Amino acid sequence: MPTHIASNEDEIVDAVMTAREWRSPLEIVAGGSKRNYGRAVTTMGSVLDVSALSGIIAYEPEELILTAAPGTPLAEIEAALAQKNQRLGFEPGDWGPLLGEPAGLATIGGAICADTNGSARVKFGAARDHLLGFRAVNGFGEAFKAGGKVVKNVTGFDLPKLVCGSFGTLCVLSEVTLRVFPKPPLSTTLIVRGVEPEEGFTLLRKLWSSPLDATGLAFSRGNALIRFEGDKDPLAEKCAAARTLIGARDVIETPEGEVAFRALGRGEVFVDEPFDVWRAIIPPAAAAQLASEIDSPLWLADWAGALFWIATLPGSDAVRDAAARAGGYATLVRADEETRERIAVFEPEDAARAALTKRVKDAFDPMGIFNPGRMWDGV
Amino acid sequence: MELLEADTDIIANTADIVAALRAIVPDGVVSDSAGLAAFDGDALTAYRQKPLVTVLPRDAEQVAAVLAYAHAHGVPVIPRGAGTSLSGGSLPRADAILLSLTRMSRIKEIDYDNRCVVTEPGVTNLSITRAVEGRGFYYAPDPSSQIACTVGGNVAENSGGLHCLKYGLTTNNLLGVEIILVDGTRLRLGGKAPGARGLDLLGVVAGSEGLLGVVVEATLRILPKPPVTRTLLAAFDTVPAAGQCVADIIAAGIVPAAMEFMDRRCVDAVEAHCAPGYPKADGGVLIIDADGIQAEVDHAIAAIADIARRNGAEVREAHEETERARLWSGRKAAFPAMGRLAPDMLCMDGTIPRRMLPAVLERMSAMSDEYKLGFCNVFHAGDGNLHPLIIFDVMKPGELDRAEAFGAAILRLCVEVGGVLTGEHGVGVEKRDLMPDMFSDLDLAQQQRLKCAFDAERLLNPGKVFPTLSACVESGHMHVKDGRIPFPNLPRF
Repeated sequence: MPTHIASNEDEIVDAVMTAREWRSPLEIVAGGSKRNYGRAVTTMGSVLDVSALSGIIAYEPEELILTAAPGTPLAEIEAALAQKNQRLGFEPGDWGPLLGEPAGLATIGGAICADTNGSARVKFGAARDHLLGFRAVNGFGEAFKAGGKVVKNVTGFDLPKLVCGSFGTLCVLSEVTLRVFPKPPLSTTLIVRGVEPEEGFTLLRKLWSSPLDATGLAFSRGNALIRFEGDKDPLAEKCAAARTLIGARDVIETPEGEVAFRALGRGEVFVDEPFDVWRAIIPPAAAAQLASEIDSPLWLADWAGALFWIATLPGSDAVRDAAARAGGYATLVRADEETRERIAVFEPEDAARAALTKRVKDAFDPMGIFNPGRMWDGV
Repeated sequence: MELLEADTDIIANTADIVAALRAIVPDGVVSDSAGLAAFDGDALTAYRQKPLVTVLPRDAEQVAAVLAYAHAHGVPVIPRGAGTSLSGGSLPRADAILLSLTRMSRIKEIDYDNRCVVTEPGVTNLSITRAVEGRGFYYAPDPSSQIACTVGGNVAENSGGLHCLKYGLTTNNLLGVEIILVDGTRLRLGGKAPGARGLDLLGVVAGSEGLLGVVVEATLRILPKPPVTRTLLAAFDTVPAAGQCVADIIAAGIVPAAMEFMDRRCVDAVEAHCAPGYPKADGGVLIIDADGIQAEVDHAIAAIADIARRNGAEVREAHEETERARLWSGRKAAFPAMGRLAPDMLCMDGTIPRRMLPAVLERMSAMSDEYKLGFCNVFHAGDGNLHPLIIFDVMKPGELDRAEAFGAAILRLCVEVGGVLTGEHGVGVEKRDLMPDMFSDLDLAQQQRLKCAFDAERLLNPGKVFPTLSACVESGHMHVKDGRIPFPNLPRF
């Protein structure tokens, strides 16, 4: 497949205009860590490699704002922020190894487009709550901008929200502006051991409904994991208050919990397993119900029970029905190409919603140039 | 500002339209002149216009039927909540149905297990918190009109408040909506499960100023109320010192619950009005709230006080609730205090990078001389959201025009220094004509194509947000540039 390399916005415009001229669609790739996430792009066209659009353009710690080219490696952004004791609030993970690619390829643009939120989402929200503005090229070959470079902005339609999780089907990003957060100096994780799912989820929701502001509330193989962050004294008070809420149970307290949460956000436990991997997102109070219904060799939960990572035998779509019964939806994160073609990767849409989705797609890319079929047929 | 011309053909059909709406909502149509006077505008008080007719549906079915009728007959519709928009977001038109959602005012469900409230759009913002505070929860977005403004309007305008830096705007606290498209199609976007199933259409509906659809139900996130809030006031000799203090607080990793700046003019006005007893402050004052658990708040307040003193401030801390209320009383009285100085006031709303505050205030002083109008500033310093209050007298010839020109100049200045036209009030009609100062033609064209995807006939809230609304090209497939269709010989696929 021919590859166009774009290293700036003008070159993206050129690539899109060429694609229009030849009616040849583009698969947009930066690091390539999540190329197997979503349906295989139905294209006889070209690859548009935007990995050369890389680097931090502006970082103003006192404004809590960072502007970067979308191909900037996630690790580079995290390192720059860490130097100023800041971080990305949505804790995006590197999903490369989970999807059969090397670690370290994930980019900020990919994290935004694929909406890879980690455990801190339970407190700070998703990528869409942090992307303040962007520049991009649409399917008409026009460079445009949306949003702004300040924390608070309601000028015009909030297109940054729409771009998050759009899997490159609407436009090719050329610049992103994110709000960033202070990184608390210390982190402690309480692990409540030996709890059944129902008891564990009840505990997690109790903490979620308390003012202790946990930044991680996960459940994994009989353990409830609760992460707190802050300065020394506040942290100690939070842990003490949490222990009171937890009651007389087997609890250990560890500063090493970061490793566990990092692994959780990357789906590390599934990397070497021969299973398909799903993410189910549900109202958190339905977590115990979902846990009891799924037939899975390996699963874990995050976001106080709103997110489940579930391994299934290859080719099964039982998770989708179970998630729907729990009031939520499911995404097939990892499976072979044939399965991703046969079982919809993203939640199927009813006729009215699908029609609106298609009109929105057409508003950005009516010729269907960008990542055709990545989400659904025609989108 | 020029308002769009009304369509006389539609006005000529008023009787038919009224009859059709009566058939849908028998007890909720206002069509007499005196009744319509109650709906002749919102909080952008300089503009008044009676609607063609007002309809007040009681449920989603009736809203869908009204929209389907309007769509079938090509009649524009202006959605309206409590009418508290400061940007004219719900300003009526003589040729449009005003769709008031205020009778849909029921909280449908409080779900503590999932920490959310499901509500109809006509419920007021404050009543969400009132409904859940007994169990220790609250709804975070708190626009200053929260006693009156409605959830539907909050979603449409993506309303903010004092606590946005820490807790986000409406969009960050909104889990889902049921929306009715202009043709009457009902859609659910989001819900109690977080995140988007497919494209994040909820994200663009929030803040779309009534241009994309009508929200008939919202699912809102509620938060556990922080047990402790402490307040501190810091008075500065110079604006740059206050600005540096804000930057230092943020750089120290502290996210205050609220951080409000009032300039010297504002401090003088509130002292004359209600004497909150602020220290002398030629540079202005900062009022800062920290909230959370006790140790967290103690830690933050100690650090903030230290930073403020290092920046030369005189610091006062509230040690009890009455003192806290007194420190805040001056900020809360900023509007009425300025209102005493002149009969009319324009409340502007723009956002700037925080570091630009001293330069922006200086430029605004010069503008005040140039336009010969008084003003003062309140500033959500945490998130850079600036609210200049311009005072004038509408009865004095030319003052309204001068006030509007002054306001527009301020907003252009916000854009010039790297900020935006509106932080929380919305574009509406007020800032509509300034959109080209912030966005290029291509930027605006992309937004308008999204509008077309939802409302190709442009019947929902016309005349708002976009300076010119170009016709939607059939199915949005073609883009005409310089009068040429690109690649005219290509079949479209």
